[in-house]
Amino acid sequence: TGGHTTEILRLLSCLSESYSPRHYIFADSDKMSEAKIRSFEQKRAETFSNSQFTLDRIPRSREVRQSWTSSVVTTLYSILYSLPLTYKLKPDLILCNGPGTCVPVCISALLLGLLGIKRAIIVYVESICRVETLSLSGKILYYFSDYFIVQWPHLKEKYPKSVYLGRIV
Amino acid sequence: FRFKDSLAEDLGRADLVISHAGAGSCLETLEKGKPLVVVTNEKLMNNHQLELAKQLHRGGHVFCCNCSTLVETLQSMDLSTLKPFPPGQPEKFALFLDKVVGFQ
Repeated sequence: TGGHTTEILRLLSCLSESYSPRHYIFADSDKMSEAKIRSFEQKRAETFSNSQFTLDRIPRSREVRQSWTSSVVTTLYSILYSLPLTYKLKPDLILCNGPGTCVPVCISALLLGLLGIKRAIIVYVESICRVETLSLSGKILYYFSDYFIVQWPHLKEKYPKSVYLGRIV
Repeated sequence: FRFKDSLAEDLGRADLVISHAGAGSCLETLEKGKPLVVVTNEKLMNNHQLELAKQLHRGGHVFCCNCSTLVETLQSMDLSTLKPFPPGQPEKFALFLDKVVGFQ
């Protein structure tokens, strides 16, 4: 969604072309991210000739302030949906930054890893908006990601297993 | 106006920006080096908007107020006391990721 997409595109801005092909996954209810992504990739294609990317939508796992019990149901539904997609893409690296959309994808990737099908490195970057507390996705993925990056020193103190590189977006 | 795709042009021409505490609005304004007054409303805002606004205020990068104190803030503020907000560095992330993945 919106802010998350802007942040993740900034994170991608300095990556070399070795990070290819790029598979973008976002919520079906998201109207604006597709345009931002296409614009980013179009610009990128001006510099790198062999740029490849795909776009996929999955059901949104949770609306803002949705109740706990219904969130579990909708997230399970999103996992069921994202499992075949993750299996198809078999990513080497998953980069995510906090929308509820990332949790089912990461859980799918973890399952695929446990089953010995494909082990992906999961890198989570918490939003720059998070200065003192983690988002819900962050609280979950702190335990399940390989690298958990925070952008403010206070969070590094609170979550010692995290990585602090300063502000990166 | 209602909704524009980008406020970049308007931001470029502004001398002062008064905004809600949305991260996008704040960061875009600060990146353009424009003085910013952030109007917060703790009753309406999501937690994370408030966290960033507080941090920017603590760092002396913006003026903060709420709807009732806006006028007073505008009258008494000294824009020269605002500290610049250096942009983020995605190149640091790229370096880190290259090491993680094994591209060196």
